[in-house]
Amino acid sequence: MAQRQITVESEVGLHARPAATFVQTAAKASLDVTVAKQGGQPVNAKSILAVLALDVRQGDTVVIEAEGEGADELLDALALIASAP
Amino acid sequence: MTTVLAPVAGAALALRAVPDPVFSQGLVGPGLAIEPVREPGRAVAPIAGTIVKLHPHAFVVVGDDGRGVLVHLGIDTVQLRGEGFEVLASEGDRVEAGQPVVAWNPAEVEAGGRCPVCPVVALDAVAEAVTRIADGPVDTGDELFVWT
Repeated sequence: MAQRQITVESEVGLHARPAATFVQTAAKASLDVTVAKQGGQPVNAKSILAVLALDVRQGDTVVIEAEGEGADELLDALALIASAP
Repeated sequence: MTTVLAPVAGAALALRAVPDPVFSQGLVGPGLAIEPVREPGRAVAPIAGTIVKLHPHAFVVVGDDGRGVLVHLGIDTVQLRGEGFEVLASEGDRVEAGQPVVAWNPAEVEAGGRCPVCPVVALDAVAEAVTRIADGPVDTGDELFVWT
């Protein structure tokens, strides 16, 4: 299982544009991908509903996980989106 | 099938007319938008269900079938940090379709230099699943679109 821990820098957290971009990128992959707040339950990173409901704020740390071929590349892309200011 | 109601009164528009690419390009999901009447009003739940996320400027209601609808009150209104919005319900509340959730004033949002248009989005839906009902003027609680 590949994993990244990222601190969300966007002023609006993982909402609106960052959330939509994050989910769109995850949804393009054939792998299962999850996102969780640190210590929280992982949710489907391909679901905009799940990601909006997670309510990630600026400064929160999220854990994203994926398994399988291409997991590292996918997580790197998602990490870049989640950490963008 | 879910019938999604107009959360505010105004004129129904295609999402692509919304001046924010996140909505106009359908990145959040398919749906419609409402150009709201410029007077104080109360935004209502577009479907029956549970309020899973409630911000002053935006909320998500999830029906018993797990479908979520996002109502966004104006564009870039997150920057107002709740000023001019009064939350009338709580996260986790069960609401009926048409029940007031947030009081706001589109005229005030516009006077502050922001666009008060309200995207109403079917979350995790494919574009083909949404069929427009409303065209032109809508009252609060009128049928806006059907989500199959």
